[in-house]
Amino acid sequence: MVAVAAVALATGFLVAGQVKAQLLTPSNQVARYQALVHSVQDLEATNAESRRQIAALRAQIDSLETEAAGRSAATRALRNQAGDLRAHAGLTAVHGPGIEVDLANGVPGPDTTGQGRYLVNYQDVQDIVNLLFAQGAEAVAVSGRRITPLTAYSGSAGQVIIDQGPPLSSPIKVRAIGDRNRMLAAIDDSSALPDIRARQVQFQLHVTFFGIPDIALPAYDSSLRIPHVNKT
Amino acid sequence: MSSRGLLLTRRRATGRVISVWLIAMLVALVATIQIRSEAEVQRSLVGIDTTSLAFLIDDLHRANDTLLAEAADLQQRQTTLRSGSAGAADQVLIDEADHLRMVEGLVPVHGPGVVIVIDATGLKALDLQDALNNLAAGGAEAMAVNDRRVLTGRPVEQASGGAAIAGVVVSSPWTITTIGDANRLAEVASLMTKQLRADRRVRQATYRVEGDVAIQSVVSVRPFVYAIPS
Repeated sequence: MVAVAAVALATGFLVAGQVKAQLLTPSNQVARYQALVHSVQDLEATNAESRRQIAALRAQIDSLETEAAGRSAATRALRNQAGDLRAHAGLTAVHGPGIEVDLANGVPGPDTTGQGRYLVNYQDVQDIVNLLFAQGAEAVAVSGRRITPLTAYSGSAGQVIIDQGPPLSSPIKVRAIGDRNRMLAAIDDSSALPDIRARQVQFQLHVTFFGIPDIALPAYDSSLRIPHVNKT
Repeated sequence: MSSRGLLLTRRRATGRVISVWLIAMLVALVATIQIRSEAEVQRSLVGIDTTSLAFLIDDLHRANDTLLAEAADLQQRQTTLRSGSAGAADQVLIDEADHLRMVEGLVPVHGPGVVIVIDATGLKALDLQDALNNLAAGGAEAMAVNDRRVLTGRPVEQASGGAAIAGVVVSSPWTITTIGDANRLAEVASLMTKQLRADRRVRQATYRVEGDVAIQSVVSVRPFVYAIPS
């Protein structure tokens, strides 16, 4: 019995020491980290809800404008004009022949830059979209986010943020409507996208691409506000 | 041994077994908590650090404010259309078309902003593309380089004569004209020019904030050949 008591006592000390010395520190780290993650999740939920609301409002406005256009030829002409501008701004869903470029994270490996170069980053997406536009792409979407004339890319640590979010991560799908052969040839050109190709070799970054006879791209569901810009 | 003695011995033996089991369970519990705790730390910290999360939260706050403002604008437009007055729809459509012409770079524009001048030898199209993207992410609402309008769909490429925007070479020095929130743009421009000045290829990198910047250059509409509105 004495031996059992001694073992129990030792275990008690061990448990107390363990809790004090080690468990609390990681638990606090986790709690802090989780609080930040929850904030991000809440903000992402708000972001998604706002974008749903914007898409719904644009659909309702379109419907009201269609009604108004049915009553007046002048309104109909104005609506056609605005409709054409909307399509070019990315505010209209479109479809047509095109290509898809899939990007996925590679494998961590020796990297002196310390920049996580095995991860897909926003510059990769920017370079691919830029290349596709250079080859005549008429409409582009990145993982369902439509690219507009005002699009900006940002992000860190394998996250890609396009305009007002949400953050996208690997795998990323870039879809473009346009001349398939021209776009495929440009992506396949070994001199194009030198940084991505180097990381394909060094970190096995995944890049695949293929043509699709008919791609559907969604309408832009975020903001195109330019409050500081005035017409001359 | 009497039956009472046997019972006492069995009870003692059972008590020891229970004690040993309890200790074993306690040890197992502690070990499990410890291992799971460590695993949770490792799992949660993979991929993104707390600093990046803090930046992400900041970005999402700003993005959500912009989305709320857009939704408010659209609600206002919807209310006007629902009023059903004769000229309401026409005015909404005219305003929207004017707005989209500015977004798409089809008309000259002006407004507060920042003008950045970069004089360098050997900077590539990628350097220009990064600079323009940083400014766009920092709140630039309209941009031009050497009086050449910049939009996301207009590619910045490396040509034999240097960086080109939509096929036209823009030679150094680059004068990047931006319109937007001047305070935000000044912060981006300050950081950008500071970094550029540390680059050996750069002779000069300066910026100035202006109350009214004009961008006269425009682009022309390229009709869709492949894309069909759904």
